[in-house]
Amino acid sequence: MTGFRLGYGTNGFANHRLDDALRVIADLGYTSVALTLDHNHLDPYAPDVSKQVDHVANQLDGLGLRCVVETGARYLLDPDRKHYPTLVCEEPERRIDFLTRAVRIAAGLGADCVSFWSGIRPEHVPPDTAWRRMRVGVSEVLEEATALNVPLGLEPEPGMFVEHLSDALRLREELGAPELLGITLDVGHCVAVEPEDAATCIRRTGALLVNVQLDDMRTGVHEHLEFGEGELDLPATLAALSEVGYTGVAAVELPRHSHAAPEVAGRALAALHAALVPPNQETTDGADLEWVSDVDHPWLVEAEQRVRRNPAAIGTLFPAVGRKVGRAPLRPEADQQGLVHGTVDDLARIRLLAVLSEVLDPALLSGEVAQLYRYGDDAERRGVLRGLAVLPAATVPTGLELVKDALRANDIRLVAAAMGDFAARHLDAHSWRHGVLKCLFVGVPLAAVSDVDGRTDEELLRMVADYADERRAAGRDVPADAVKLLEAS
Amino acid sequence: MRIFDPHIHMTSRTTDDYEAMFSAGVRALVEPSFWLGQPRTSVASFTDYFDSLIGWERFRAAQFGIRHHCTIGLNPKEANDPRCREVLDVLPRYLAKDGVVAVGELGYDSMTPEEDEVFARQLTLAVEHELPALVHTPHRDKLVGTKRTLDVVHESGIDPGRVIVDHLNEPTVAVVADSGCWMGFSIYPDTKMDEQRMVAILKEYGTDRMIVNSAADWGRSDPLKTYKTGLAMLDAGFTESDVDKVLWQNPVDFYAQSDRLVLDELPGFAPSAETFAGNSVLRGGGNT
Repeated sequence: MTGFRLGYGTNGFANHRLDDALRVIADLGYTSVALTLDHNHLDPYAPDVSKQVDHVANQLDGLGLRCVVETGARYLLDPDRKHYPTLVCEEPERRIDFLTRAVRIAAGLGADCVSFWSGIRPEHVPPDTAWRRMRVGVSEVLEEATALNVPLGLEPEPGMFVEHLSDALRLREELGAPELLGITLDVGHCVAVEPEDAATCIRRTGALLVNVQLDDMRTGVHEHLEFGEGELDLPATLAALSEVGYTGVAAVELPRHSHAAPEVAGRALAALHAALVPPNQETTDGADLEWVSDVDHPWLVEAEQRVRRNPAAIGTLFPAVGRKVGRAPLRPEADQQGLVHGTVDDLARIRLLAVLSEVLDPALLSGEVAQLYRYGDDAERRGVLRGLAVLPAATVPTGLELVKDALRANDIRLVAAAMGDFAARHLDAHSWRHGVLKCLFVGVPLAAVSDVDGRTDEELLRMVADYADERRAAGRDVPADAVKLLEAS
Repeated sequence: MRIFDPHIHMTSRTTDDYEAMFSAGVRALVEPSFWLGQPRTSVASFTDYFDSLIGWERFRAAQFGIRHHCTIGLNPKEANDPRCREVLDVLPRYLAKDGVVAVGELGYDSMTPEEDEVFARQLTLAVEHELPALVHTPHRDKLVGTKRTLDVVHESGIDPGRVIVDHLNEPTVAVVADSGCWMGFSIYPDTKMDEQRMVAILKEYGTDRMIVNSAADWGRSDPLKTYKTGLAMLDAGFTESDVDKVLWQNPVDFYAQSDRLVLDELPGFAPSAETFAGNSVLRGGGNT
């Protein structure tokens, strides 16, 4: 069982040396890369290009990155005209030459495919002519691709001649449905210009999908945005990739964010992890599991299936989570200990609890959750606390007992996990205030506490003010979060 | 000098000890579950203790930059008390936990039939849970107890390479060396082994399968005995690499067989004083 591989596009690291970009991308936790050939990133016209290809292939291998080759460089072929020449302009030869070079480089790198687009149709070129040029150009590149067995991915691109998925599919049909001609789909483009949403486009493309670009966009606006800034339904999109059995590269495409590449890439991966939902699987027959994505953690997907088949299995799976999927904080750049956003294993345990709540009778669910906490180590207890918010209402009384137990602990990770959405919604005012004060006291950032603005009341402010006085009286600093809370009131 | 103390009871130690250990180079340790001095009378006091070994104590160690692991088991002394033996039924839950790197401490105290049964049953649990076993040797009648221990290990079918026999000394080291088990030595201020005798044993038997620990607990003991043994080795002409093998690589190799060692440096580790607002370790204080 193989799943798709989350990656990042090097065109979003244009201000990094290629070696550095690859290392940063791998260090963040991505397992693939979309490599845009450009003047400073594996220039196909460099005299020592074959040596460079060997070098990059070794780098990719060493970092465990899979790769696709992208050909969207802006000024690689013509320093004056962006993206020129294209396949549909008067003199497409240099574009065709470039694409065949890209195919050879992809073969040398062991890349999954070469991705390309049509280019903008110049106003004076009639559509018929442009269409014919596409057919001729693509056929020519396909010859090299066939010789070297490298798949091509035609990408519909807003504003270009082949703009919609339906155009790309039609061209492919007209060329006789060549096996090596597939589709590259940018899910943001689907939001911007497709008549259907990204998940539907993915289903429509199905097995023809050879490369996926991930980004957010708004309807009608071709601007690559970070996840959450546009209208893309990311969880549904990723679920659709799993559903169609996509096993290739799915790389974040943010070509205008190079100025802050590492931070942006870190945020993107956190958003992707948060959006990865368990596949909504109807059958439990092993033979039907082929399409299930392992995304980053094949173990987790299997664990979810086991809990679905046999809810009691969670007792042995829950303690093993950290060993299997890792323990890193989800947003290490801002939250080194995972106090605010949690950790990878927290997220995995929340997903297991969500599955458990679907398959277990609510009456039994409370008991099982209490047992997982009672016999859990620090990490398991954290997972239960963070998972309470996804459980049905019948478990609220049990959840409250567990939250209160955790708030008696002095392990700051438990205290932080206890003060999330569940506590914000259900914990009584007195306990909640004491929870906030405890966070200030033991050094849990208030960012870890849900709905501070909504639940802060006069009594809490009095308590925090007294605490601040006590600190000052002792000649100690007042925690910045306490000052902020008092100033905001 | 980087040090892995493979046997130390931190529950009984102070934060000063953690600081001194970190300064001396201790970056990881194993805390075996054991007898607490005061006999237990129920299963609940075991489970609270086990919870602490996989929760609070791990957190406490992390505040001082030290990775904490533990072993879980019913010690031989309390194996004789029927009120405590029921803890065997809850052991499987704990043996599945992160950071539980062996079953232990097991072995003999007074060599009673009850101890025989509990020892054998827990070796079976070790095999079932694919964990190594930490076996101590008795304080009294030590050589006979050690031989009997090796017989039980042999009968259980566990691979001797996954067993460490601890608290060895001059009379008991040879039989364990021949058995294929790992050899553990507890360096104490005035009982068990001392640094100089340890160096002599290393000279005679070499450094393979040799593991040194402080076994520091609530009794008179010294959590820096691992470090001091390293110094004594260097004085006696052992190389830095020999010291690293005995104080780090060997215990790591042994416990890595559990697949549950975590040895990365603790992220953002900083001395606790500032993080915890002038309190010692998160005692809570007046507001909690």
